Amino acid sequence: MTFNPLEQRGIPLDRQLRNWRELNVEPIDPDRCDPYTRCRIITMNGIEVEAILFSHQLARHCPDPEIKRQLARTRYIEAQQQKVVNWLLPGVSSVLETTIAYEQVAVDLTAWVARMEPDPYLKQAYQFGVLEDFDHLYRYANLYEMIEHRKAESIVDNLTEVMPGRPTRYHHRDPVDNVRDPYDKDTTNPLSKLHALTIMSAEQQTMNFYMNTGPTYMEPIARQLYQEIGLIEEEHVTHYESLVDPGETWWEQLVNHEYNECYLYHSFMEQESDPRVKAIWELHLNMELEHLHTACDLMRRHDGRDPASVLAPELPNVLTFEPNKQYLRELLDTQMDLTTLGAGYVREAHERFEAMQAGIHGGEAPPSDRVMHEHDEMFGREYRVQTEGEHPDPAQREK
Amino acid sequence: MTTTHTPHAGDDHAEDDDVVALLMRQHGDIRNLFDEVEASTGEERRDAFRRLVRLLAVHETAEEEVVHPFARRAFDGGEQVVADRLAEEKAAKETLSALDEMDTDDPKFLERLMRLRTDVQEHARAEERYEFTHIRRSTDAANLAAMARAIKAAEAMAPTRPHPGVESGAKNMALGPVAALMDRTKDAARRAMGKG
Repeated sequence: MTFNPLEQRGIPLDRQLRNWRELNVEPIDPDRCDPYTRCRIITMNGIEVEAILFSHQLARHCPDPEIKRQLARTRYIEAQQQKVVNWLLPGVSSVLETTIAYEQVAVDLTAWVARMEPDPYLKQAYQFGVLEDFDHLYRYANLYEMIEHRKAESIVDNLTEVMPGRPTRYHHRDPVDNVRDPYDKDTTNPLSKLHALTIMSAEQQTMNFYMNTGPTYMEPIARQLYQEIGLIEEEHVTHYESLVDPGETWWEQLVNHEYNECYLYHSFMEQESDPRVKAIWELHLNMELEHLHTACDLMRRHDGRDPASVLAPELPNVLTFEPNKQYLRELLDTQMDLTTLGAGYVREAHERFEAMQAGIHGGEAPPSDRVMHEHDEMFGREYRVQTEGEHPDPAQREK
Repeated sequence: MTTTHTPHAGDDHAEDDDVVALLMRQHGDIRNLFDEVEASTGEERRDAFRRLVRLLAVHETAEEEVVHPFARRAFDGGEQVVADRLAEEKAAKETLSALDEMDTDDPKFLERLMRLRTDVQEHARAEERYEFTHIRRSTDAANLAAMARAIKAAEAMAPTRPHPGVESGAKNMALGPVAALMDRTKDAARRAMGKG
């Protein structure tokens, strides 16, 4: 099915305001929902948060009060969208349960994007990053069993495997080695722009979540693990945001943001299993179409360019949440020992990497190693979900 | 795929020197048992449900004897926080005893069990957020450890599961009725807290 958001009209902006009753959505049942429904909720929350923060930054650089007012109108509706989407998450979930769901998003969203990304350099950036999210899921899953005596499979439901990825202690790189080269806005595939924006937004939301919820834990090992992985999220945001061409004008970026929201709401509407949530994706798509038109008008007026010249002629194939087990196993088999050097990837532990490692670990085991040790002391084993057999890397098999 | 079993609180190798950590793990054990009841049928379900009833009864009784009285006097507003929790516990116990009289193969059983699961989970989170947080900041490590010991002593007197090797429904039933189990837990908790 072809869908060109530029040719569709949605709900007029002055009819998009929702009252308290409409904002008061019923949350999903965390124990009986489709795990990928929760993944779509977490993804769209990250997308809406980025839309809001981007619009604020734009407004702060905007001297024209009339444009500021226009941005404020759309942004208020986006803030309502964020409230509706994120309030689908239930209060009964613990922070750690939501964290495990965030990591499931990071694994299956990034793996899918890596599979579909047409540009080999960008593809490598996603392949590199996903093995780190994969390891975070494994560490948090072990912490979860220690604190709540529950297994992460009750959250990820065997759709995503839980086992070691690239060990978290090796994720701490010199910050300059986290900066990638950007795509070229004039020659890149329009799908690549959407991918970069999506993964950057998701990682940014994860960074925000950990930096704010980490200290709500009282258990020392939990507090420390959130600190460690929270710092890696800072690296990941640096990694992904640097893929975006900084030569895009503010108005072009605004159009890309709104277009991406249309793309994702459309994608999720197409695959949503929960009819109540599906109705929200559909409603929000109809709102976003008008936000996109407003953004396109701004770009035409201020850049003197046709937005169609920077966008895809129609929406790409829907972005899909589905298991990526075999793909991840291939990456585990071939890319575990990579690190970054400058904007590229190498296999040797180079000097700058070693210096960073020595500096941050201070000669001690990091929290991500200690959580495994403490888990082992408590249960005499680790926690894993290996539905497809042993770990592809013999060195990572459970002893 | 290898399936790993999460042992009950007290059966793992945790130090159990903090009553809050111990009870939080037990909340997970209760959720695991709900899942086990839901996933099984026939004799297995009957057996899993007996274990759930017992664990819930013993856990709630131990909390009522050990942590609620402490919370009541330990912090401002504790009286009301505990009153709210007791109201939730009372409602859950009523649903539980209605379920207890039902055949686990009854077509209505699962629906009611799911309702109880939701109520129990909301109650457990409310305890963790509004009661346990205050307990931890109102006392010291020694008292947290003393309360953990009292909970364990109480629960040891009221076994919620047969000893290894005798995991049959009949042996489970031989542990006695739920009311007697709650009384035994209560007595043991009081002795452990030096009030017996």
